[in-house]
Amino acid sequence: MNSVVASITYRAMLGRKRIWLLAALPLALIAIAVLLRLIGGGDENTAVRLMEKFAIGTILPLLGLIAGTGVISPEIEDGTIIHLLSKPIPRPSIALTKFAVAASLIVAFSAVPTFLAAYLLIGTEAGVAAGFAFGALFAGIAYAAVFLLVGVLTKHAVVVGVIYALVWEGAIGGYVPGARKLSIQQWGQTLADQVSSSPFLKADVALSFAAPAIVIVTVVAVLWAGQRLRGLSLTGDE
Amino acid sequence: MTQPTGVIHDIGYRHYDGVRLSRGYAATALALHSLRGAFGLGRPARSKIIPFLVAATMLLPAVVSIAVMALLKQQPLPYTGLAVTMQAVLAVFLAAQSPYLVAPDLRFRVLPLYLSRPVTVLDYVGAKFVALTVALFLLMAVPLTLIYIGELLVELETPVHHGDYLAAMGGSLIFAVLLASIGLALASFTPRRGLGVASVIAFYMFTLAASAVFFGVLLSEGLDNAAKWSILINPFFLVDAVQVNLFGTDPSNGEGYPPGFGPAAIALAVIALALSALFLRYRKAAAS
Repeated sequence: MNSVVASITYRAMLGRKRIWLLAALPLALIAIAVLLRLIGGGDENTAVRLMEKFAIGTILPLLGLIAGTGVISPEIEDGTIIHLLSKPIPRPSIALTKFAVAASLIVAFSAVPTFLAAYLLIGTEAGVAAGFAFGALFAGIAYAAVFLLVGVLTKHAVVVGVIYALVWEGAIGGYVPGARKLSIQQWGQTLADQVSSSPFLKADVALSFAAPAIVIVTVVAVLWAGQRLRGLSLTGDE
Repeated sequence: MTQPTGVIHDIGYRHYDGVRLSRGYAATALALHSLRGAFGLGRPARSKIIPFLVAATMLLPAVVSIAVMALLKQQPLPYTGLAVTMQAVLAVFLAAQSPYLVAPDLRFRVLPLYLSRPVTVLDYVGAKFVALTVALFLLMAVPLTLIYIGELLVELETPVHHGDYLAAMGGSLIFAVLLASIGLALASFTPRRGLGVASVIAFYMFTLAASAVFFGVLLSEGLDNAAKWSILINPFFLVDAVQVNLFGTDPSNGEGYPPGFGPAAIALAVIALALSALFLRYRKAAAS
């Protein structure tokens, strides 16, 4: 971990107007929760559906994508990463720092608003708010690690990430039950199911698979990203 | 002190005496170049991967449809449902390619170079918009036409759906115009390609999830009418609603849409808003 690298990355992610890209989606989530409460949809079923579809199913992957690739891809695209890589800082430590920044941003902009939105909708009923916040926390960290790795591996990181989140987790996961096993958001729902006692929430993946999977994917992705940074080649684009 | 003596040598530069092509020619050339670029033509091999993958995926329903028609003698997918069924694929194409059309010119600040020619801001924006619209239209129209040709050749017992095919082609054009205007407007706000992709896809996934959540909640509250309006948050259902009301086709959401001119008015307002945002963005970029 390197505090200077971390502070530069935070500034790149939050500086000027960029923070709005991160803040817009969580604000929309909270606004929708308030709106649903006002039109009288504040029951447990609605809350679980909103959390499943919206908080874990949409906002979490999107923020993971924006934060995970955002901490490193623009620098690689610009070529300015060469200034960072030429400093006597171990490359795996750069990867770890970037991962920590991305993970902290996802926790702040996704797990916390998830809790707030569910709390506004139904309070602490059946542990829905706490459960989904818990699930979003760990799934968000896994997303940060995976999308950081994708950002180091390819220049088209965002497109690859979109295809994973939208086509694999969204479309294919909707029809093929087997695909849900390899989906980070499903692992998050499994974790949410552990904390929440709501009968409306049913996880498809067993905890004995999801919990180790999250840990292994996170650790392997960060280590691989660090390894990959040690031999990064800067190629011209188009 | 001697006066400096300089000689201007004639090194053989020649004037251009040929025909000066018009402003329209330049705009057409820009549009054609952008259209080719949207499919990765004239760009390196790895820029071709995603558009080619998307185009191949869009052809899959056509292939399956023709096979089913030939073997089982029935039509599995109605023409008018193609875009809604394949919306995720179209959204990926829009998100991946609309930043390519606008971001590099903004990022490398080459807009003044374009504008030093007869091309105006309006021409530039129009060319990019037409290119993306045509690209999206082709993605939908080619599979539709293939299915149509298949239906003509297979000779099903049911009469050929001429009307549905034409309605779907008209609907595809509306889809293309609406999606292209939204995609370009969102992508033009950042000169970085990655952020552009992220913001377009964030818009799509947000509207997708919001329309599903509101539709479900309002329906369970018994507010059927409000539920039908709320599903229009998703641009694909918005255009499908316009298509249903305009051409009288079957709705693809299974529930029906609000009748009348409401959806069409919303769609027109969205297109107008997106295009004026795009134009204002470029007028500002051209001035800087």
